Amino acid sequence: MNRDEIDELAAAYALGGLEGEERVRFEALLEAGDPDAVRALRDCEDTLVGLAAAAPESPPPAVKAALMERIAATPASVRTLPRRSRALWPVVLSGAMAAGLAAVVVGWSVSSTYEKRLDALVQSAERLRAELRSQQAVIAILRDPATQVVVLAGLPPAPGARARMMWHAQAGGVFVATGLPAPPDGKAYQLWAIAGGNAPVSAGVFTVDAAGTGSLAVRPLPGVAAVNAFAVTLEPAGGLPAPSGEMYLLGKS
Amino acid sequence: MPSVAPGSESSTALIAAIAAGDRDAFSRFYDLTAPMAFGLIRRVLRDPEAAAEVLQEVFWQVWQDAPRYDPKRGSPEAWLVMRAKTRAIDRLRSIRRRDRTFVAPVDESVTQGSPDRAPDPAVVAEDRGLIQTALAQLPEAQRRVIELAFFEGLTQSEIATRLGEPLGTVKTRTRLGLDRLRGVLGGERLSAT
Repeated sequence: MNRDEIDELAAAYALGGLEGEERVRFEALLEAGDPDAVRALRDCEDTLVGLAAAAPESPPPAVKAALMERIAATPASVRTLPRRSRALWPVVLSGAMAAGLAAVVVGWSVSSTYEKRLDALVQSAERLRAELRSQQAVIAILRDPATQVVVLAGLPPAPGARARMMWHAQAGGVFVATGLPAPPDGKAYQLWAIAGGNAPVSAGVFTVDAAGTGSLAVRPLPGVAAVNAFAVTLEPAGGLPAPSGEMYLLGKS
Repeated sequence: MPSVAPGSESSTALIAAIAAGDRDAFSRFYDLTAPMAFGLIRRVLRDPEAAAEVLQEVFWQVWQDAPRYDPKRGSPEAWLVMRAKTRAIDRLRSIRRRDRTFVAPVDESVTQGSPDRAPDPAVVAEDRGLIQTALAQLPEAQRRVIELAFFEGLTQSEIATRLGEPLGTVKTRTRLGLDRLRGVLGGERLSAT
């Protein structure tokens, strides 16, 4: 990949508009610490900081007052709870998990002051709102007659694995897999779309929880018209531009 | 107004102190960076109340996520601005979704792509003088792609659809536009000191 191409990916990534396989590729470069990619992204982000800094606006004083009050009421231990990464997986099945987590947070605060309880509720409401947004997108896909359902069956490395892809060429899709073994350290599952005789196109990377369940929201794949099959392989954690590992799941549409 | 170059030692040190639970450091970081973040959020969301809510969410995240800030990935200002941008765009999308009275279409880009539903970025830009000044020095075609991406949250292919241009053209313009902007803003920063 030449400099211009990396700069182009970095610019789109910094602006939040990089999609599909290009996003996977660029994130893999960042993950690998590629110096050109890291430098290009920093340059772009600093430029956007400059753009924001060029038009400052004084916020209403009430915002800071509310924040300082909220912080004063937060025990330090709450902040160190591990949080699920927002950016990676707008996960379909995490509803139960989010609700469970919210219940834990809410439960913890019952013994605490009213202030803390309110705080926890605000947090769980934010989480559920994000959840709702991703589920609305899923429902919209399911509602469309053009959506096809592809069933993927487990291959020899995981014969018990099953997966289902709800795929809409323009809107993207929702992928859910069960029965997969936990990937070894530094590895992750990568989903591929295969169209005609072309090389497989990456549809994203996912991992599975302790129960072997994983899911992935897939953006539309530019340049991929009719998908003939979906497949899942085991790859290095950031994913690769082309499959290299063993195939775990395969399904033809 | 105090201004600090991105990644300067003081903002990095402040984040480290915030990560250790220093409320005073949080207060100073807020004073230093909130006007920049709020200016950006207001540029995306015109409703001042929604913008204030988003600002509060963003800085609440700063307080919570400061221990996970990685200086190798960029300056604290960049870390903050990217969060502010993402949150503001999320809110913009949810407002638009709520405002739709018809059954939600499957493909968001279809509705975002119809020019009559979204505010013309050029019109929106008018009330934001200084950003406008920096952006105004870009050729119109480059300015449009950056505005559509940064202030409206459109992806590269959505921008291509909206403008009726090939995807490759949009990508090139985005890169050239950011390059040019870097020159413009770099020049301003020098002349200001």
